[in-house]
Amino acid sequence: MPKQRVGFYFILPWLIGLIVFTIFPMLAALYISLTDWSIIGTPNFIGFENFKAVFQDDMFYTSLFITVRYALFAIPLTIGTAFVVAILLNNKIKGSGIFTTIYYMPAIVSGVAVAIVFKWVLDPNYGVINSILAIFKIDGPNWLYDPNWVLPSYLVMAVWGASGGLLTYLVGLKDIPRELYESSDIDGANFMRKVWHITMPMMTPIIFYNMIMGLIAAFRKFTDAYILGGAGNEGTFYMVYLYDQAFSFYNMGYATALAWILFIIILSLTIIINVTKKYWVHTG
Amino acid sequence: MNHFKKIRIIIISMIFVLILSACSTGSGKSNACGQSGNKFVFATWAAGEELKEFNEIVDRVNKNADGEYTIETLSIPSDYYIKISTMIASKKTPDFFWMTQELISKYSKLGAIADLTDLMENSEHLKPEGFYEGVIASATYEDKHYGIPWIANPLMVYYNKDLFDEAGVQYPSPTDNWTWEDFISVAKKLTTEKKDINGNKYRQYGTVVDGWPNIETFFWAGGGDIIAENGEDILLDSEESLKGLDILNEILSSNITPSYSEVSSLGSNNVWFEKQRAAMFMGGIQDNFEEKLAKLPAEEKFEIGYAPMPVGLDGEAHAFDWTASTVMAKGCSDNETAFKALEDLTLEFFKWKIASPLEGQVDQIAEIDPLKEPALETIQHALQIARSANYVPEWNEINNRLWVELYTGMLNDPDKYDYRAKAKEIAKYSRDLIEKRK
Repeated sequence: MPKQRVGFYFILPWLIGLIVFTIFPMLAALYISLTDWSIIGTPNFIGFENFKAVFQDDMFYTSLFITVRYALFAIPLTIGTAFVVAILLNNKIKGSGIFTTIYYMPAIVSGVAVAIVFKWVLDPNYGVINSILAIFKIDGPNWLYDPNWVLPSYLVMAVWGASGGLLTYLVGLKDIPRELYESSDIDGANFMRKVWHITMPMMTPIIFYNMIMGLIAAFRKFTDAYILGGAGNEGTFYMVYLYDQAFSFYNMGYATALAWILFIIILSLTIIINVTKKYWVHTG
Repeated sequence: MNHFKKIRIIIISMIFVLILSACSTGSGKSNACGQSGNKFVFATWAAGEELKEFNEIVDRVNKNADGEYTIETLSIPSDYYIKISTMIASKKTPDFFWMTQELISKYSKLGAIADLTDLMENSEHLKPEGFYEGVIASATYEDKHYGIPWIANPLMVYYNKDLFDEAGVQYPSPTDNWTWEDFISVAKKLTTEKKDINGNKYRQYGTVVDGWPNIETFFWAGGGDIIAENGEDILLDSEESLKGLDILNEILSSNITPSYSEVSSLGSNNVWFEKQRAAMFMGGIQDNFEEKLAKLPAEEKFEIGYAPMPVGLDGEAHAFDWTASTVMAKGCSDNETAFKALEDLTLEFFKWKIASPLEGQVDQIAEIDPLKEPALETIQHALQIARSANYVPEWNEINNRLWVELYTGMLNDPDKYDYRAKAKEIAKYSRDLIEKRK
């Protein structure tokens, strides 16, 4: 039996899964986006009407703006936080294993549980954050109940969950050749100089990976936003609006058009980041 | 043809068939009603104790049917409407299913549920005129009845008699009209600073408004509405409707209710009434304060009084009513046995749930729940003035904007929020939506 045929048989189960669970739903979604399907009615082909309607829809722009704004703040914040925590944990300090486990916990906790916990943490009257602020005689904000504080509320949650990428940073840090630090020690480099001139460049592939993953996660933000919402429309992230269109308003065709637009946005941004890769990602 | 080629052909064919099925217009055969031997599937959101009681009723009805039909229960305790709509899409519609009033126009417009008008007119027990007018209207769209209401839950005002006595405020009448002005004035008298047994200060409020009662209540308070009875004219920016929002704003900005962010600190809005932190609560029969109070220790108990919802600026009192109905799959339209099964089961529901949506059954409430005896007079009054909104297929979109943008805007910043401008903006959006349907 030729080698390539054996290989094909090995990937066959995956290939069938890909066709049934990915390619087929994508093609079906493409068709649905060209119909007025409501889930419970008969779909009628309407061409690109849904796409035209999306670009005339105020809520599309509002939800996109809310999501992009969140992504702009959340991605650097989470990358920065995870990176700093990883550097601290990479030092041979007592109990670093326990801290690593603790910091990684948010990555394995259910999004629903996180949302419910943060509902209490951010409670304006009895929440942990405002209670701590009160000790310092600071009147805490209304968080999710104040349109101006909805974004910071979600950023607090994002920072808390930033350590999802912690393991990748730790693995990356351990891969940096010790010799580089040893020679910089001989040259008299201090801690910050070593971080800036050795750690950062060597970690750029990991940062690049986490940036792409962070971008996708930010644009697909749903669970906590759906549960917690936010004053005014400030908690209406793109995916929340998409879900409402599909399952609350029964506009599945329209929702699917929104999904395709989201796909194109994420794809375009990923390509843009990829293009910039050669200027800042150290791959040598 | 070698083996390898065959597999490739199968895979390519699979993709092709899947694409074709994705592009199908869904014109395949719809599921038949009561598929084998008049066996009907009834989908319910009931779970736990409610499901147990539901199943007992179903068993009793099946036994009485003596083989004429059989009803099977399908419990969908979570994501109910997502599952129902998915079942409809996959041509596996349950023969009967519960449905909230807001969705009946949508499902009927999309052709998923049967028009029951003729069947109900010809029924001995479920004639439309036998139901409270405002209740049956909630299951009616374009003059056709698409659902059989099995519960009515109109709003009334629960009040704490002890706190009224303490403040020297006269009780409102259980049935006579009081106005929103009276209500606000009483709430102001009942709002006061107090100390608990540990000497900690707290504020006792006159009432609680935190998104509940729903915004319809206040549009009606001004004599306005959201959508006209014809299902086409948008009224939410009429002067009457805006005056209703003025009433809501007065309640929110005069400190007679805890702030929006404060309400959740006790769990939910009705807990404020149970804990005697609010003297009045606009709630339905299902809030069941009587039973909750009965379980409290003696020192935490208080006497509950009942009053109707206040009269609006149009001179009428409107009690928002939440009604759930049973709807029948479109495929069952011509099946008389199906309707017979539905009728038999619904009549049993009336003996189970309170309040029955049928007129003349108020006394039955005390038989089902003796603790509600003191409330009967007010419940009777509330059922007479019960009503829901004029629901249209676009209701969820409109209501979402009313809640997310208008109501929460008012709740978050009652002193500065320009709710009149927002109401006009949402009215324009709603008109555009309705125009698309036309």
